[in-house]
Amino acid sequence: MRNLFVVATTSLVCASVAGAQGALSLQGLGYPSGGMSARAEGTGGGLADFDALSLTSPAAIAGVGTASLFFQYSPEFRKVTTSSGTANTTTARFPLIAGVLPMGQSWTLGLSSSTFLDRSTETSLTRLETVGGTTDTVTVTEQNRVLGAINDVRLALAWSNSPKFRIGVGGHVFSGSNRITFSDLFPDSSKYISTSQTSNLSYAGFAASVGVEVHPSRVLGFSVAARKGGDLRAESGDTTVATARLPDHYSASVMFEGIPGAAISARVAHDSWSSLSSLSTSGIQAFDGWDIGAGIEASGPRLMQRIVTLRAGARTRTLPFGFNGEKVKENTFAAGLGFPLTRDRASFEFAAQRASRKAADVNERGFILSFGLRVSP
Amino acid sequence: MPRLLATAALFLSMSSCSENLDSSGVCKVLCPQVGGDVQNITLEGAVALDTSVLSFSGLGTEPRLLLAARGDTLDTRAVIRFDSLPKTYNTAGDSIKSVDSAYIQLQIDTLSIKGTGPVTIEAYDVDTTANDTSSDAILALFRPDRFISSQSFTREQLTDTLKYFIDNNAVLSRIQSGGPLRIGLRATGPSFQMHIFSSEGPQGPILSFRAVPDTLTPRVTVVPFSKTPTDDRILSAVLVDYTVVAKAPPPAPASVLGVGGFPARRVYVRFDIPDSLIDSSNVVRATLLLNQLANPALDPTDTVRLVAQVVLAGKAVTDPTKAAQISIGVSPDTLLVKPGDAGERSVELARAFTLWRLQKADTLPRAIVIQSLTEGASPLEIRFSSSEDVAALRPRLRISYTSRVPLGLP
Repeated sequence: MRNLFVVATTSLVCASVAGAQGALSLQGLGYPSGGMSARAEGTGGGLADFDALSLTSPAAIAGVGTASLFFQYSPEFRKVTTSSGTANTTTARFPLIAGVLPMGQSWTLGLSSSTFLDRSTETSLTRLETVGGTTDTVTVTEQNRVLGAINDVRLALAWSNSPKFRIGVGGHVFSGSNRITFSDLFPDSSKYISTSQTSNLSYAGFAASVGVEVHPSRVLGFSVAARKGGDLRAESGDTTVATARLPDHYSASVMFEGIPGAAISARVAHDSWSSLSSLSTSGIQAFDGWDIGAGIEASGPRLMQRIVTLRAGARTRTLPFGFNGEKVKENTFAAGLGFPLTRDRASFEFAAQRASRKAADVNERGFILSFGLRVSP
Repeated sequence: MPRLLATAALFLSMSSCSENLDSSGVCKVLCPQVGGDVQNITLEGAVALDTSVLSFSGLGTEPRLLLAARGDTLDTRAVIRFDSLPKTYNTAGDSIKSVDSAYIQLQIDTLSIKGTGPVTIEAYDVDTTANDTSSDAILALFRPDRFISSQSFTREQLTDTLKYFIDNNAVLSRIQSGGPLRIGLRATGPSFQMHIFSSEGPQGPILSFRAVPDTLTPRVTVVPFSKTPTDDRILSAVLVDYTVVAKAPPPAPASVLGVGGFPARRVYVRFDIPDSLIDSSNVVRATLLLNQLANPALDPTDTVRLVAQVVLAGKAVTDPTKAAQISIGVSPDTLLVKPGDAGERSVELARAFTLWRLQKADTLPRAIVIQSLTEGASPLEIRFSSSEDVAALRPRLRISYTSRVPLGLP
């Protein structure tokens, strides 16, 4: 009987705790959707630090002009190819909701929420197990479902007394949860009992950000932004499971508007994702990475007496979590358009991104469509 | 164009609303196994108590009556009580003054018939004031002065519905006297056995006769009814028909576990299982391994279905015989065995663990009973080695389990 206790205890301790991700972009704590609006995504992220509806720089909200509400829906159609097969998935994300309110001539207040790391995935894995006698071999199906994300809720305040200079600060609350359901399914219910476990993991953390935007001339603009991460706690019920530092984020951008009706922008950013490594209990490695993007936004044709804005861009970045110890790189080509509605009191923004990710012998292609609606009440 | 764009955007939005997160196609490469492997462990000393106990369900509750005459091996009879006979035969209230073509309609399980030759079924008056549950008192009444009638049948005449004609005067005399008509049926012949569906189901025996010779007048039908014991209505309800055992193979010795037979017995097994195994791991399969002992006494190649039930009796019920009557089925799975076979048999108990996980052993002892699905209706007895046998043949409990996975962080 003592042996039984030893076996049970050992297997409890040694049990794997890794999650089944099923995609390169979903390794670790999930996919960083980026906190960019459809407009910024359409330019490969180049415009993000100048875009009032993106979360990358708190200074940018000072350029909003009028009070605005923004909502974005971004489904991703993903295809993962490995040597053993392919998987096609559809992930529906609502990555961004933002409200910006100018207060007087100089101040602007913004409240927004964006998806920081989306972990939603579902996998099933079959394996042969001997259950009972030595000849009783059955196929066990292991199902793993993870739903939920960590979200970044930012309250930002920006100041600007002229179009040449903007500065802003932001306070971030990172919160969210992952609901994990794990099942072992056995074929014959008269002999075997299928098991199921569920767990809720919640996250809480804080960060602060600052951004500065300078336009020394009418054709040139610069922006720098930084976010300093505080502690991020992962809790199960009342128990803190693990803690980590939220990754620091730095970015610098430039925008050139010397071509009439067009804006060319570029952005480079760095994320210290490795600070999240301590939130992995199975040793999934997080890598610091660069995020580089550039794009153009230009006035396009008139439709129904409205000027359609066209955008195009490209982006490359390192995703936070690696696969088999190898960095996962993401290269994206994007295109988009903006269409003013109801006498410019609203606008529809659309971006289509073709993302390819690669690590080891795994290839992943994602087609992300972003639909944004901005309303100025 | 704008309308086209808007329509296209709306279509794309709608079509992408349904999520499909399943990445199973690439799991061989991208999904590490999360759950631990199944651990199999056989607990040699997990059986704390095993014993054969009598089934209380016995007399009268059997779904089928066994009528058997198999020489020195098996002799069983069927008793049917018609304690309430009508005095009149129509709505006008005309008294019954004669009885014509009286018979008892019996529904037979023809698949259960053993014996190819003709059989004679004799009917006896088994009315007595003796104890209702006394088999000896009833058996003593199968004597010539109680003889009512007999009827012979060839094998071909034994169809699903059998009309067993009895003496008209015997029925009439009971009607006129107001006394009960209690018929005892006995088969005679070289070797015969069959099952008659009892009143526990919808196809019970029926007494039918004509009160007047006129065939246009509907027959009078009477269903079995028992007025005694007067102080136990539940028992009187089941004693409308029952099987009386005159002779049966001897039960298994005390050191051997026996299931079924006459009188019907069950096996009660109580386990001593570590709480940690039930509470802290996922039991995916549990099997009670029993060593079957050959019992060639009767129909060794016939199939018997055994079922395991979880004992619900709490710790306060210390008598295994009583505890074994308070049980509940947890799985539709049955174990098919033949009395003459021998060797290891597996009784699946995984579903019992789902119940045991809900309550501590102090509240719900880890005990099961193994019983025959034809308990009380079949004379066949299945035998197993008990804990008193040599170590290699004793009952053992094999448990397959997985460890709980600490879900959460990747």
